[in-house]
Amino acid sequence: MSPPRLTGALRSFSNVSKKEAITEQLYDLKTKRLKRRQLFAREGLTWKKIFHLCSEHQDKADQQAASQELKSLLLAAKDIVGTEHGQAAIESAAVFLFETFHNKDHVGTEETRAIKQMFGPFPSSAAEASCACVARLVALLGDSRVENFIQTLCSRHNPQRSSAFGRNIAFSHDCYALDPLEDLPCSGIHEENASLDF
Amino acid sequence: MACARVPLDEQQVTEPGPLGKEHTLPALHPARKEERCFVPYKPPPEDGSPAEAEEFLEHAKFITEDLDWLLALPHDKFWCQVVFDDSLQRCLDSYLHHAPRGLDLAALPSSPAVVDMQRCVHRAVFLTFLRMATHKESKESFLTPAVFGEIIYENFLFDIPKILDLCVLFGKGNSQLLNKMIENIFTQQPSYYVDLDETVPTVLQVFDTILGKCGLYCEGAAAMEPMKLNSQKQHTAMTMSQQDLVDLVLYLCDSTTTIHAFLDIFPAACSSFHSHGFLSRLTSFYETAVPDLESAVRKRNFDDKGLQEDLWKRLSHSCRKIVEMAHLLLHHTCLQPILEGGENMQTFAEELLQHFTSFLPEKRFLSDYDEQFSIADDISLLQQALPLIDETRTSYLLRGVESAWDSVGRRRPH
Repeated sequence: MSPPRLTGALRSFSNVSKKEAITEQLYDLKTKRLKRRQLFAREGLTWKKIFHLCSEHQDKADQQAASQELKSLLLAAKDIVGTEHGQAAIESAAVFLFETFHNKDHVGTEETRAIKQMFGPFPSSAAEASCACVARLVALLGDSRVENFIQTLCSRHNPQRSSAFGRNIAFSHDCYALDPLEDLPCSGIHEENASLDF
Repeated sequence: MACARVPLDEQQVTEPGPLGKEHTLPALHPARKEERCFVPYKPPPEDGSPAEAEEFLEHAKFITEDLDWLLALPHDKFWCQVVFDDSLQRCLDSYLHHAPRGLDLAALPSSPAVVDMQRCVHRAVFLTFLRMATHKESKESFLTPAVFGEIIYENFLFDIPKILDLCVLFGKGNSQLLNKMIENIFTQQPSYYVDLDETVPTVLQVFDTILGKCGLYCEGAAAMEPMKLNSQKQHTAMTMSQQDLVDLVLYLCDSTTTIHAFLDIFPAACSSFHSHGFLSRLTSFYETAVPDLESAVRKRNFDDKGLQEDLWKRLSHSCRKIVEMAHLLLHHTCLQPILEGGENMQTFAEELLQHFTSFLPEKRFLSDYDEQFSIADDISLLQQALPLIDETRTSYLLRGVESAWDSVGRRRPH
């Protein structure tokens, strides 16, 4: 709980702020994750494009192997996103997993956090399976080809940070600290506190 | 993207509508807002359990991602989001409400990841407010100043409590930027001066509330109310529960730090506080409440000696802030105009002397003030600026200051 604050009193007792219950939470994490998934699905990378990448310039044996891995990736994605969602949601989740693991050899903390942020709690076996699938796919397709593909299509890898507001502003993290006039006089405590707390 | 060299509030854009057909609409229009679902901020966990830390990290990551996205938006899209997305305003409000202040009692989080994430949110929130306080980003990206003033006021993008929160949260290292922000807000929307004027009595009420909780006489409206005959015995700083005393000292510490930060960053607010007799209320509060609270913190039994020491520091810090506030008020409303020279120098000098004279009965305050800001130096400055100043009066004042030091039993350091 926040300690008592002046601005809290001003919000409660003056008429200069918007009156509304701050505790009322419009969006819970479930809604937020759903919204993130919708936004991700609108980005440049799609399941169709990954499928196309896996099938072009490949001999038949590699194509078959890739197709098998893509199926396994979809299954893992289904385990992560949940069965109640439709095919489009599962494919979008598989795209996310492909993008997350394309340059990773294991499921680290960062990847776990990223998947949880997108889908909520998930079975770790599904994450391990998808990581392994993606690694085998990348081995079939070649690291640099996959990297170029991701860089070209994934807008999250090309954010317009260079033009973001405030990028050149020198921000200070300094914060106010206690600046007392004097220390607690030690002699005062011990002499007087024995009998005066009534 | 909207067209150039025309203020955003006058621009029209043509873009695909919900059914795919192109339509023209004002550049600042709710239909141009994106559904982003900003989540409210929750402070870092105090006990630092890994699960809670993880929850904080996840939550905070949503906020930094969304605010970074917002800051990267072009000017027109940014303002559509700011004006029409309630979830964004709730997110920013929740940060101002719950973000830990440097002076909070809770220990800093131990996890470096939590500290780093908190720093990222802190910066992103500040930059968002900075952008919201900027009506002209470039030659091409700007709002008509009057419309900007209307937008920020009517949509409560800024209000007085928010401005105070911004000062206490970000003011320590970003005072120049904050000064520019607040100055621009007040310049483009003078209604904020009216709001400030309405807020000062509530600030005064806060000090009266503290006095009331200590069972001390209030000078304000509450003192005019007759006491109920069957009202229960009033608690004092010595008899109230320890938790109440802790809360009271925390409240005083937060209040004095916040007001001081605001006046320091935005000195133009001094005249609003001054016009409500803030200075005399502050000095009489100091004289009445400080000795009582000091005595309670020193004499009560605390099982936790660390807490007792912390409370003392907070009380002593509050004293310093009150003294500094008094100096800021005197400096900006009387001394500065005298030093600048001008038509009304004599009036300002008279007012300054009047204030110093009014301090004479408040001996504890006077000696603490004089320790920080030598009254003799100010009077000497006054004599240089206005050689004809009444010497009998200034001598009387200086003797009064000496006597204040004697009566509180302390020796003057200078």
